[in-house]
Amino acid sequence: MIHIENLVKRYGDLVALNHLSLDIHEGEIFGLLGPNGSGKTTAINCLLSLLKYDKGTIEIFGQPMTPDNYQAKQQIGIVLQNVAVFDELTVYENIDYFCGLYVSDKKKRKKLVDDAVQFAGLEDYCKMRPKKLSGGLLRRLNIACGIAHKPRLIIMDEPTVAVDPQSRNKILEGIQKLNAQGSTIIYTSHYMEEIEQICTRIAIMDHGRVIASGTSEELKKMIKTGETITVEAILLEEKHLRDIRSLPHVFDLHYENQILVLRCTGAQHNLIRLLNYLQSQDITFGRVFSELPTLNDVFLEITGKQLRD
Amino acid sequence: MLHLIKYNILVKLRNFNMTFWPLVFPLILGTFFFFAFGNLNDADFETVQVALVRETTSNPLFDFYLEQVQKSDSDLINIHELTEQKALTALKNKEISGIYYTGMTPSLTINAHGIPESILQSILESYNNSLHTIRTILKTHPSGLLNGLTQMIDTRNLVQEVSLGGKTIDGNSQFFYALIAMACLYGCFIGFGSAITLQANLTALAARRCVTPTHKLKLILSEQIASFLIGYADVIILLIYLRNILKLDFQGQIGKMLLISLFGSLIGVSIGLFVGSLSKMSEGIKVSVILAISMVCSFLSGLMNSSMKDSVEKHFPIINRINPAALISDAFYCINVCDDPTRYYRNVLTLAVMSAALVFASFLLIRRNRYDSI
Repeated sequence: MIHIENLVKRYGDLVALNHLSLDIHEGEIFGLLGPNGSGKTTAINCLLSLLKYDKGTIEIFGQPMTPDNYQAKQQIGIVLQNVAVFDELTVYENIDYFCGLYVSDKKKRKKLVDDAVQFAGLEDYCKMRPKKLSGGLLRRLNIACGIAHKPRLIIMDEPTVAVDPQSRNKILEGIQKLNAQGSTIIYTSHYMEEIEQICTRIAIMDHGRVIASGTSEELKKMIKTGETITVEAILLEEKHLRDIRSLPHVFDLHYENQILVLRCTGAQHNLIRLLNYLQSQDITFGRVFSELPTLNDVFLEITGKQLRD
Repeated sequence: MLHLIKYNILVKLRNFNMTFWPLVFPLILGTFFFFAFGNLNDADFETVQVALVRETTSNPLFDFYLEQVQKSDSDLINIHELTEQKALTALKNKEISGIYYTGMTPSLTINAHGIPESILQSILESYNNSLHTIRTILKTHPSGLLNGLTQMIDTRNLVQEVSLGGKTIDGNSQFFYALIAMACLYGCFIGFGSAITLQANLTALAARRCVTPTHKLKLILSEQIASFLIGYADVIILLIYLRNILKLDFQGQIGKMLLISLFGSLIGVSIGLFVGSLSKMSEGIKVSVILAISMVCSFLSGLMNSSMKDSVEKHFPIINRINPAALISDAFYCINVCDDPTRYYRNVLTLAVMSAALVFASFLLIRRNRYDSI
């Protein structure tokens, strides 16, 4: 459905997109994950023909994407990072206005607008102006304006920034519902939990290029970390650290402020082996927990830095 | 399209800054002008001083004609019979506005361009027209001469009351014409506000509108029409306020005033749209540009100094031909003072052409626009 090849975008000396290549298929919820400034929004803006780019090709629905490719634009819905609605219009009027840019038939449009209002859970706010809405409701209105015309492709650029958890869950559920109804979705975020929760395929971006892509499971399999064990309130000496480091499958150890973090390869029984050792040495400790790898671990292992750095 | 126009009008009407100041500022300024200069009817019209120099072959018909003009309105002209030498000295010293030479073909010598000179020119033209008519009647229908003369007298009275009667010939009227021109140009702020909402690099709202399948020309035209309707309504309200509340004497045809206000509002909105569509400038610079355009144009059309437009006409006439405020103000002058339809329609046409060119240029600017950064 979308084919991006060798896309290069420079802002002076800064390379915002560095030979970016992506393929997005129909029916996917495709996640673009990366820290702020990694080039996600720039990629989206190039894709929508809002930004000039220095090199590369972009095709949507098999056609080159240009500013006057109205046929392609007809099938795209966009939810921008910044809320883009008219402060002067009510909730209902805003949705009707934007839907009207795609659908001219009045009857058909009314039905679509009513559906979008219901989808975003804005029934009780139809006559309110955006300024009176809370942050979460405003984001929901932003989404309703972008999807009211039931597009084939929906591009959502960080739609949950500054949204309360309740609204965030509602938004994420809604995205999955839209996908189930047949829309392909491109979802950009720097919240790995969201991406992991809803995306069927993920591309991790850093410095304007894709550093890894695949399903969540595929990405996690790409890295060495199979399990991360954390032990809190533990007092260890250098000898103990050496012993723990030499336990089977441990490949990384971090000890600071009486907190021990162990990274192990995917083998089983790592936690039991550690607990046995601590018991044998009469070492007391506080809370212990074990975590499976996250996308942050993927990012950390590939780039050497945290996703939210 | 109607859908877009409806919502564009709603957005603008509900935007206090966009609607309030373009409407209220000219009303406030008009009220200040009114208290500063008073009613146009109360203006003191100075009688035009003119010398009459008799040539060897005198023309009794022209003498009679001037006598009739003086009789019909004693305040209009004051004739001094002088020798040519004395008349030229008086003209040089600005004691008189012109010299009539009463040869077989009467002629007029003037030393400047202004309202008194226009009046003297009009009287001479009126005489020549009357003479031509009488000759034609004598040649074709000698029996209808009396009837023709009666009608000519009626016409002359009408001309004197409307154009030369001195009721609207007031230098201060120029301020009010320039004020209406300024109000028309204030539409540029409404047009500018519209253009900003089409610039994807300036607002997220514009970015969202630019990625929709609605054709850019349709987006621009809907904004243009909505902005124009609001700008035009503002100007009409000002016109009604000046005519009916302040009771200023705008004696010309209201239809013509509405027509020039229409094209005036159109050019105001078009300027705003055009400047707003220039992608290389920041929003702040664009605001400064439209503010400068509206103020400089209004200044040159006589908003701050009633003789400014005449000075520009004397030294840089081309500016008055392309300055929208001067064209609007001049059209009002044509309607209310000098009754010159040719000049009026030339002004209307110039404004229409300029508006169309600006809207088309705006479309070209944002048609296929992709930005360097957003």
